[in-house]
Amino acid sequence: MTTTTTSEPEALLSHLHSADGSATFSYAGYTIVGAVNGPIEAQRRDELPEEALVDVVVRPAAGVGGTRERHLEGLLQSTLRQIILVTNFPRALIQITLQVTVAPENEYVNTKVIQANTNLPILPALIQTAILTLMSAAIPLTATLTSVVIAAIAEEGSTREIINPTVREVEKSCSLHVFAFTSHGDLILTQSEGEFTMKEWEDVLASAQRHCCPSTSGDVNMSDDLASGADFGTFTRSVLEAKIASDLYWK
Amino acid sequence: MAMQTDNIYVLPGDEIDPAHIPSHPKHPLRLGPGLRHVPPSDLFPTIAGQLVTDRRKNMIWVESNGGRYIPAVGDLVIGSIHHSAADFFYVTLSDYTSNATLPQLAFEMASKKNRPQLHSGDLVYARVSLANRHMDPELECVSPSTGKAEGLGPLSEGMLYSISLGMARRLLMRKSAEEGKVVVLDELGSAGLAFETAVGRNGKMWVNSKDMKTVLVVGRAVTETDEKSLTVDQQKKLVRKLVKEMA
Repeated sequence: MTTTTTSEPEALLSHLHSADGSATFSYAGYTIVGAVNGPIEAQRRDELPEEALVDVVVRPAAGVGGTRERHLEGLLQSTLRQIILVTNFPRALIQITLQVTVAPENEYVNTKVIQANTNLPILPALIQTAILTLMSAAIPLTATLTSVVIAAIAEEGSTREIINPTVREVEKSCSLHVFAFTSHGDLILTQSEGEFTMKEWEDVLASAQRHCCPSTSGDVNMSDDLASGADFGTFTRSVLEAKIASDLYWK
Repeated sequence: MAMQTDNIYVLPGDEIDPAHIPSHPKHPLRLGPGLRHVPPSDLFPTIAGQLVTDRRKNMIWVESNGGRYIPAVGDLVIGSIHHSAADFFYVTLSDYTSNATLPQLAFEMASKKNRPQLHSGDLVYARVSLANRHMDPELECVSPSTGKAEGLGPLSEGMLYSISLGMARRLLMRKSAEEGKVVVLDELGSAGLAFETAVGRNGKMWVNSKDMKTVLVVGRAVTETDEKSLTVDQQKKLVRKLVKEMA
């Protein structure tokens, strides 16, 4: 059995004036402002002779970034540089800044505050913001991405999967998984933590695939609860089509 | 020019319906910006935009508005001199990118003895003569075939305005009123203002006039048209309003 938290994703594109591309994306309690500058001149000591350097900076909602943000930056950097056509801009720098402005509120259980002690739940929102921002900056990409976080909760011998879990559900879960797929349906990022068997992981992967790329996964079962979660692919397309239409109003 | 059935919007990595790709018996297919050819015969968009095809010239490209200027050969650009060295001027085309080089002899009538004196901050109207991802772009202010300036060269006085890349492209269209739907400059001209402009494909517009007020009015009219996405009628109204305020 599966359940989802329902909240519609929202996005605003190209609203920052001095950045080459920008987007604000809100989903599942997170609001993230992204800005892209590039291709710009890289520092001599950083530049790569054959490809562009992709620099990702993640800033938390409060305080300064620490190891948690560095970890997220590392994951995002290695994911994004695979879909950006980095060889088009040798020796250049593409700088992606992601500022978290709102994070889900902590919940109280028995007067004790539950805090997210894991990095993974924010990843889909960060990835989605980065993709929208890169497209706003017209950086050449090979594909777009969709991603999802799934918590597996052990219940009476079986496991229950929750798409986009709340902080509370993350706390209760025995394992947590993040997957990202390209628009061609290829798995590009997978991160898991907690205890799970290979069989469980494969089941979670299958539901993630159904959720993220409904058209490519073969069996389309719209009656499945999984289909009720927000479809980032369709969302991204509709946001960008509106943006392009308003940009090219004169055509 | 561009023949269009209806608006086709594409995202990076989308498949393009083969029916939308023009085929011509004689001309080879020409790919414009925003498309990537994956051998042997796959075609993918790399940016989000509107797919535009020209079946007569057998061309296909993706039109979009955003992003940073990436130099391409033949583009007319407005650059500002960063510094000059023995044989070259180093010219900034957009912020934080590496400088383009402009040979000091690439001006009309320039010789070893008689070369233009340009200083840091001066503006030049130039054509991109070399653009290559592995090298810094090169500019020229003279036509290599005729040796004439053809309107290129240093821009003295006047004011520089930043506009979006899409607006710059519309202003540079041969028939900017019909195809680009931008009539502000024509309207300002027919309202009796005397001014000259130069538009750079890198999102810059230079305006000069004997009357400082005119420079400001022209600059404001164009930037407002760009930022507020004004239609032809709104542009005419804006021009009437600005001219009235000026008098």
